[in-house]
Amino acid sequence: MKKPSFWVMAALTAVVIAGCQNQRAPAEQGVAAAESSLTTIRDAAMHYAPDQLQAVDAQLASVKDGLAKGDYKGVLAALPALNTAIGNLRDTATAKQQEADAANDKAKDAWTPMSTDVPKMVDAIQSRVDILSKSHHLPKGVTKDSLAAAKSSLDSMKSAWSDAASAATAGNFSSAVSKGQAVRDQASQIMQSLGMTSG
Amino acid sequence: MADDKSPPADNPYTQTHLVQSGDTLSKIAEKYYGDASLYTKVFQANRDVLSDPNKIRPGQKLRIP
Repeated sequence: MKKPSFWVMAALTAVVIAGCQNQRAPAEQGVAAAESSLTTIRDAAMHYAPDQLQAVDAQLASVKDGLAKGDYKGVLAALPALNTAIGNLRDTATAKQQEADAANDKAKDAWTPMSTDVPKMVDAIQSRVDILSKSHHLPKGVTKDSLAAAKSSLDSMKSAWSDAASAATAGNFSSAVSKGQAVRDQASQIMQSLGMTSG
Repeated sequence: MADDKSPPADNPYTQTHLVQSGDTLSKIAEKYYGDASLYTKVFQANRDVLSDPNKIRPGQKLRIP
């Protein structure tokens, strides 16, 4: 078989190089667009879908590696999957953020009555503890231990309540309600132990 | 007493006592505080309905701070 001539080989090489150069710009633009798209959702994705973000980052890194090596054809072939992955990541992060926002709104509704109730419970306990501390004998059903526990719990409840209020001030009502409920539960227990729940 | 820090009157978590026939503030203080001498705490917390610690009526609902 006759070997192709030098000029034929040169022409073919030129065609291939031209083809590669034709693919370079769209490959670079595609990667830049994908990276830019990922940047706009990165914060939300880090918060709501970190594992999925990690996978997409790996996919992007692989595509950029292909770009650096001049594999424009491979890059162009990989871009649709990368863009789909970025779109899916956006959808996941958005859905989870909406879910979290809805939960926070619900918690905000719960926080409103809690923010007035719990301090009143703590005030009532404080008042009773102050009075019982002056008593020469404790009432039936109240022990020295339960009074001592109530005294020490008051400080921790006030501190925990302060944390809950700070979370609410920061707009994190889910955390505020969770912390506030813990204080409410503890306050209920103490009121029970001090005999404050019977009429 | 000047150092009283009773919960405000509208505190729903302040315990209450429904006065029965034969009750006195001392007996009520004995029941809730274990110490009759602390009757003044009950009196101070109910100054809006009591003018005299020796005059309470059955049916009155007293706050027990």
